Amino acid sequence: MRSPIKTVIGLVLTAVMLFPVYWMINVSFTRDQDMRADPPHLFPVDGTLEGYRAVLDQQLPYLGTSLLVGLGTVALTVVLAAPAGYALAKLRPVGGGALSFVLLIAQMIPGIIMAMGFYAIYLNLGVLNSIPGLILADSTIAVPFGVLIFTAFMSGIPDELTQAAVVDGAGRLRTFWSVVLPVSRNSIVTVSLFAFLWAWSDFIFASTLDGGGDHRPITLGIYQYIGNNNQQWNAIMATAVVASIPATILLIIAQRYVAAGVTAGAIKD
Amino acid sequence: MKTPARRWRAVGAALVAVSLAGAATACSSSSSSDGSSDGGGSYAIWDPYPQFNDDSEWVKLLKSCGTSAGVTVERTGYDTTDLTNKALLAAQQDNSPDVLIIDNPVISTLAEAGALTTTEETKLDTSAMEPNLLGAGQSGGKTYGVPIGANTLALYYNKDVLTAAGVDVASVKDWPSLTAALAKVKGAGKKGITFSAIGTEEGSFQFLPWFWGSGAQLTALDSSQAVSALTLWTDWLKQGYAPNSVINNTQTTSWQEFASGDYAFSENGTWQLGNAEKLGFEYGIIPIPASGGGTAPAPTGGEFVSIPVQSDTGRYATSQKLVSCLTSPDNLLTTDTTLSYIAPVAAVQDKQVAADAKLKVWVEAVKAAKGRTGDNLGTKYPKISEPLWTATQAALSGSKSPKDALSAAQTTAASATK
Amino acid sequence: MTLYLLAFYAYPLYRNIELSLRTYTVRSFVQGGAPFAGLDNYGKILSDPTFGPALLHTVVFTGASLAFQFTIGMALAVFFHQHFPLSGTLRALFLVPWLLPLIVSASTWSWMLNSEAGVVNAALGVVGVEPVNWLTSPQWSLVSVIIANVWIGIPFNLVVLYSGLQGIPGTLYEAASLDGATGWQRFWRITFPMLRPVSAITLLLGLIYTLKVFDIIWIMTRGGPTDSSTTFATWSYRLGFGNLLPAFGPGAAVGNLLIVMALIFGLIYIRIQRRQQA
Repeated sequence: MRSPIKTVIGLVLTAVMLFPVYWMINVSFTRDQDMRADPPHLFPVDGTLEGYRAVLDQQLPYLGTSLLVGLGTVALTVVLAAPAGYALAKLRPVGGGALSFVLLIAQMIPGIIMAMGFYAIYLNLGVLNSIPGLILADSTIAVPFGVLIFTAFMSGIPDELTQAAVVDGAGRLRTFWSVVLPVSRNSIVTVSLFAFLWAWSDFIFASTLDGGGDHRPITLGIYQYIGNNNQQWNAIMATAVVASIPATILLIIAQRYVAAGVTAGAIKD
Repeated sequence: MKTPARRWRAVGAALVAVSLAGAATACSSSSSSDGSSDGGGSYAIWDPYPQFNDDSEWVKLLKSCGTSAGVTVERTGYDTTDLTNKALLAAQQDNSPDVLIIDNPVISTLAEAGALTTTEETKLDTSAMEPNLLGAGQSGGKTYGVPIGANTLALYYNKDVLTAAGVDVASVKDWPSLTAALAKVKGAGKKGITFSAIGTEEGSFQFLPWFWGSGAQLTALDSSQAVSALTLWTDWLKQGYAPNSVINNTQTTSWQEFASGDYAFSENGTWQLGNAEKLGFEYGIIPIPASGGGTAPAPTGGEFVSIPVQSDTGRYATSQKLVSCLTSPDNLLTTDTTLSYIAPVAAVQDKQVAADAKLKVWVEAVKAAKGRTGDNLGTKYPKISEPLWTATQAALSGSKSPKDALSAAQTTAASATK
Repeated sequence: MTLYLLAFYAYPLYRNIELSLRTYTVRSFVQGGAPFAGLDNYGKILSDPTFGPALLHTVVFTGASLAFQFTIGMALAVFFHQHFPLSGTLRALFLVPWLLPLIVSASTWSWMLNSEAGVVNAALGVVGVEPVNWLTSPQWSLVSVIIANVWIGIPFNLVVLYSGLQGIPGTLYEAASLDGATGWQRFWRITFPMLRPVSAITLLLGLIYTLKVFDIIWIMTRGGPTDSSTTFATWSYRLGFGNLLPAFGPGAAVGNLLIVMALIFGLIYIRIQRRQQA
C-alpha cells in the first residue's frame, strides 16, 4: 500500500470514530426547537451561539484549574508509579504479587464509594475544595494503572542493561534514574497521557470533593446547565467542546514530541 | 528501599492505623465542622439551582437576607441528584449547611435520617403556606421545612397543529375526548403527545396525574383504575399517538420534541413557561383531565427551605431569620418569578396572576395538586414509586401487559413497605 | 507508597465491605449504629429476581465489549504503526473521545440512537431499513450500550497496544522480510507473540474497567427497559443511589460481588505471569 492511500484510509477511520464528537459539536450550535427535529439536521442550519456565549462568559476561569489538576495528577502518578513498577518488575520484592493483586482489586471499588470515603478523610484533614486534594484523589485512578503498565513494560528491559550499570558502581536509585527511566520513555508517555485524560474528564471526585470550591475544574461547569427541571443542552455540549479544545491541542503537540523522540531513538540503535 | 521484613511490618501497622481511623470517623459525630461553624458570621446555604451564578437575582437575594440577619452567606449550588447524596454525607460527618434548599420528596428521606430540624424546634412560621403544598414537607405529623415555591404538570398544546387537525381544544375534557383528539392529529399527519416515562422518579412524577386521575391510590398499584391509567399510555404508544422515545425521555427531551413543532400535546411543568415564550408557534395550556372529566390531581414539585441539624444549636436563631427572609411574601414573589414557580402563599399567587394572566391555569393546577409523600406515605413513597416506574417501563416497552406489570409492582411495593 | 495505598484503597475497600455487612437505613447511615447483619444483604441479592439477568448482562456486556475493543484497537494500532503522512496527528485525534466527560459522550450516543429523531435511524431510513428502537426496546438496549462502550474503549486499547508495538525491535521484522514472510505472517509470528505481556495487561485492565462501567449505561438507558441492560455495576448504583431512599447495604454487596469477579480474573492473570517469569 502506498502512503497517500494509507492517509486516506486513516482519515476515513478517524472521521468514523469522531462522528459522535461531530454530533456533539452540532448539538452545541442547535437551537432548542431544532434539537429533536425529525429528521435530524446534519448541520446546525439555523445555528445559535447562545450555548457558547454562556460558556465563554462563565467557564473560562475553570479551564486553568483543570489544566493544573491534570498536570499535577500526571506528575504525582509518575512519581509514585514508576519506582513501584520498577520494583515489582525487577527487584521482585516479597509480596510483590500480592501488591499488584491489591492494585488490581483496588480499581474495582466504585468511584462513588471511594469518593465517599475520601470525603470523611478530607474533611478531617481540611483539604476539601482544594486543588492538591483533587490531584491526590484523581491520582488514585491512575496510579494502579501506572504501576501495572510500568511493571509490564519494565519487565521487558534486558537485565544485562541494569546489571551493567551496577557493575559500573551505580546504586539502585542511580540505575533507576539514569538507565531505567530513559529507556521507559514510551510507558511514561502512555501513563502520563491516561493520567491526564482521567483527571481532565473526572466528574465524581470533583463533584464530591470540590463541589463548593472557588477552584472548580471545567467538567463541573456542566452542572450550571443541568437545572432542577431543565437541561440547557447546547450549553452543556458547548462546555464539553470548549473544554476539549486545549486538551486536544496538547495531545497533538505531545504526540509530535513523542514521535520525534522515538525516531531519534531508533536511529541510535 | 526497605528490607522486605520491615516493609511487611509497616504494612501491618498502617493497616491497623487506617482501620482505627475508619472506626473513629464512623463513630465520632461531634467534631467541629469547618464548613458551617467557621467563625461567627458565616452561614452556609446549599441550593439545587446551579444555573444561577453570583450575579443572579437569586444569589443577590441570599446575600441580602444574610446582610439583614447580620451574617455573611456562603452559597453553593449543586445538581439536584447530587445534592441528596451530598446532604446525607454531610449530615453523617456533621458538616451540614445552615440552610438547605431541597426537592420536596427528599424531605421525608432526610427527616427519616434525622438530618433536619422541625419547624417547631426552630420556630419557623408556616401558617401562611397552602396546606396541600406544605404536606409534601410533613412526615409523622411534623413539618420539616417551608416551601419556596411549587410547580406541577399540565398539558401544553400547539395551536397550529390542533387547528390543522380540526380539533377544538375545549372538547378535550376527559380521557376518551383526549384520545379522540390524538387520533385526529395523527390522521392529519402530525404527532400526538409526548411525555416522560423514564425509569426514574421523573417517570413516576409524570405518570401520577393519570394514575390519580383514574381514581387509583398509591397503596394499591394493581387496582383496576391503576390498570386503566397504564393501559391509556400503553395504547397511545401502540396506536402511534405517542412516540416510542417516551420510554427514555426526560422531561427536557420531551419538551425538545414538543418544541420541534410536530406534536400536538406535551405533558410538562410550570418551569417550562420561560422556554414556552421562545417557541416558534402559538401554544396554550390545559389542566390534565381526569378519566371521567374534571382536573386530575397532579403531583406537586418544587423545593423546601429547611434547617439541617447542627451540633451547635445556637446557630438556629440566625438560620431561622434567613429562612423567614427567603420565604417572606415579597421575596417569594421575586424568587418564584425567577424560577417560574407558583408561590405557596395565596396572597402572592394573586399578585402573580395579576402580573401575568397566563399563570392563572397554573395557580389552579397547583391548588388541585397533591404531595407525593403526602397521604401519610412519607418514606414509604420511594418504595412505591420505584415499582411504579418499573411497571410503566415494562408495559410501555411491551415486555408485560399493564395488568401483569402492575400486579408485580404491587407485590414488590407491598413487601418493601411492610 | 504503602501508606498511600492503604489510605486511598484499603480504607474505601474496608468501607465497602463494612457497608455490605450491616443493615443500613438512611437513619443509621447518618446517625451510626447500623446493626451487624452478616451475609443477609448477600442472601437478599442472590434471591432477587434481578440477579440472574444482571449476571448474564454483565458477562455479555463485558465479553462483547472486550472482544470488539481489543480487536479494533489492535487493528488500528498495527495500522497506525506504519508511518504515513498525518499518522501521528490522526492517532492523537483518536483520543478525543477520552477528553469528554462521560455524561457528554453517553448523552451524545443516546441522542444519536433516539428512536424518533436520532441520526442513526435517519441513516437507516435512507437505505430503507425500518427504524430500530435502540434504547427503548428490551431486545436492543444491551446492544446499544455495548456499541457506545466499545467506542469509548477503543482509544485505550489503541494507545496501550501502540506503545507496545513501539517496543518491538525493528530488526525482527527486517529479518522476517528477508525470509519472505507476508504481512499477515509477520503479525502472527512476531507482533502477536511479542505483544503478549502488553496484551494481557490491556485485556485485564479492560476487563476491570468494563465490569465497572455504569455511567454509560445509566445515562443511556437507566439499565432498562425492564432490566434489559442492567449489569451488576448499574444495579449496585441503582440500589445505592438511584432511589430517593438509598439501600447502601445491598448496593455495596453487589459492588463486592463485582470485586470478587475481578479477583478471579486477577488471580488467573498472576498465575500466567508467574509461569512466564519462571
